[in-house]
Amino acid sequence: MEQVVGSPKGWIDGDESAKEMLARVLTARPFLLLPPLHRVPLRVGNVVELVGPSPSSKTHVLIQAAVSCVLPKEWNGVHYGGSDHLVVFLDLDCRFDILRFSEMLKHRIIGESIGSMKIDSEKMDFDLWNNDKKRRPAYDEELYVLCMRRFLYARCYDSFEFLATLKTLHYRIQKEEEAHGTSVHMLMIDSIGAFHWIDRASTFMPVGGNNRKSHSLQTVSETVVQEIRKLLVLHPMLVIATKATILGDIYAMNDAKWNLRKPDTSNCRSGRITSQQLPYREYMPSIWQTFVTHRILLRASDDHLPVSNDQNHSLYFSEWLLPSLSFIDKFIVKEVFCFGTCRLASSLFHEVRRDLWCSLASHFLIFPIMPGLW
Amino acid sequence: MAPLKALEQEYPIINSSFQNFCASRGIFSVEDLLLHDLYVLVAFAEQESDAERLKQGITQVLSIIDGQHQPWLNGMELLEDAHRNKHVLSSGCEGIDFLLQGGLRKGQLTELVGASSSGKTQLCLLAASNVAKEHMGSVVYLDTGNSFSPQRITHFICRHSDPAIDQAKHRILQKVMNSILCHSVFDIFTMFDVLNLLELNLRSQMQRGDCQVQLLIIDSVSSLITPILGGSGSQGRALMVSAGFLLKKLAHEHNLAVLVTNHTVGGEGGICKPALGESWKSIPHVRLLLSRDRGGSGVYSVSVLKHPSMAPGKASRFMIDD
Repeated sequence: MEQVVGSPKGWIDGDESAKEMLARVLTARPFLLLPPLHRVPLRVGNVVELVGPSPSSKTHVLIQAAVSCVLPKEWNGVHYGGSDHLVVFLDLDCRFDILRFSEMLKHRIIGESIGSMKIDSEKMDFDLWNNDKKRRPAYDEELYVLCMRRFLYARCYDSFEFLATLKTLHYRIQKEEEAHGTSVHMLMIDSIGAFHWIDRASTFMPVGGNNRKSHSLQTVSETVVQEIRKLLVLHPMLVIATKATILGDIYAMNDAKWNLRKPDTSNCRSGRITSQQLPYREYMPSIWQTFVTHRILLRASDDHLPVSNDQNHSLYFSEWLLPSLSFIDKFIVKEVFCFGTCRLASSLFHEVRRDLWCSLASHFLIFPIMPGLW
Repeated sequence: MAPLKALEQEYPIINSSFQNFCASRGIFSVEDLLLHDLYVLVAFAEQESDAERLKQGITQVLSIIDGQHQPWLNGMELLEDAHRNKHVLSSGCEGIDFLLQGGLRKGQLTELVGASSSGKTQLCLLAASNVAKEHMGSVVYLDTGNSFSPQRITHFICRHSDPAIDQAKHRILQKVMNSILCHSVFDIFTMFDVLNLLELNLRSQMQRGDCQVQLLIIDSVSSLITPILGGSGSQGRALMVSAGFLLKKLAHEHNLAVLVTNHTVGGEGGICKPALGESWKSIPHVRLLLSRDRGGSGVYSVSVLKHPSMAPGKASRFMIDD
């Protein structure tokens, strides 16, 4: 009798409770990212590649994603909508500007606090001129410091340093996760092709033994992919790498047919670019190309939007190459003036099918920033 | 690329049995180890007789590897370093200072692009004289075309000062001239030599407070790189990228502002574009395009091609000789 009762009960009991299942699924939930990363749901374990000539706001997109990741969902009653996790940033280009990251973080924090206080921005302008301190929104210094500390940065001056960093990254992440109490959710690499020429020219002939691996582009790329794969098993995270299109001009000079492959805005307007006509020349080894799960092409537009007195807007195009989507997003990176100094803020308006303009929800309010706030 | 043998003295755990084990797997130096999978190596070590010692050896080498990359910093530490060390040096020219929100920033590589006689060398000389005078630092000037002119430096120093006190002016001039170290380099290998020597010197005198090198000028870097860039071979580009990384390393580690000049070449449609190609584009932090206005009025225009925190296209005008 017990046996008969035992097995159906066991079958009804199931493998895991709803709470356990929710806990499991929530850790792998898709990221809520901003344009141009918002078109396809991205999860931990995905490898996204942002391709584009220099400059095309690739680093800007990275910084914005990092800011969203380090902010908490809610803090002191204000809703920030961030992921509340750590970000690891490997700077291979060695051009990262922390001041820009800091300004964007501050802008986002203040924007949210203002949004939550529902202060009319016009009224605030007026009060600025009167220097009315009472109207100044509470700027949460503690939150700012907390978020800045969640941003982990290392730079690499050559492939050896890059490999050394990757090999010891597991232990570093463990240490930092313990210290902060939250896990790493994003690994950013800027940019993955930085050492391409140096590795390609490295004709090191191995001395002493046939099974000695030589330091070449192929072996370095294989090791990089292998290390990141191992890391993703132990620490599931989203990998975002930028890649500059550095082979654009060799072929343009020599061969007329390559001219057809150059990024041409008139082509873009007519629709998608199929995988046969990649608008740039791929130079990363195939092991990296197959490792990448998502790819976005970013491009600067040649014309700038009509410039008002003191603001300058740059227009960029983004197009998803993998998975291939049939439309192109346009986004603007706006500068926000701060009474004599100017900062780049992350105001993104995206255009769907080139007809509609819609602004993102409360995240991006543009307003004059008060002096003396920082 | 030191072999593992060389580490034996300092780390006795890396003894000959460990080295033999590594040699059997094709690993002769620490750099070789970077290209191998350490977990696989540990699995092979398990099968050996002295598995424990081998695994300890692997752990030791891993900690050596940990010391071979740049240190990890978090956002606050980076910000502190930026505020404390990475100040802005005024270039001596108000138009440029206004455009760059203060001037040349330490830790960044600024590139001046322009056709010939568009004011690049004049700006370099002006920046050198200004940094030597106002910021009391020394300047390293790498001159590739014999265009360094002490007379111009004297002119820049003396034009704003009070003509009454000759004695003080003479002293200031002496100090400025002593602070500007000019090297003539005519090929890229000499440039590497000079820069590596500079790096050694800077590393050994980290503690010296006064008269530190604050500005490094290379006029012009394109004349050093263009002869080696050519065809589809990667050697030239590899040298160019290595030079770029060396300059950025010097800028960041030793808090220098680096200023380089580049010329222009014809692009499609007859528009001038900066030389050195696509690979160079991602190396400088800031790229400025200089041009001289027609009419010989001595007015120059400068516009931003790339800046870490500014939209491209912003422009301004200035005069060097007022």
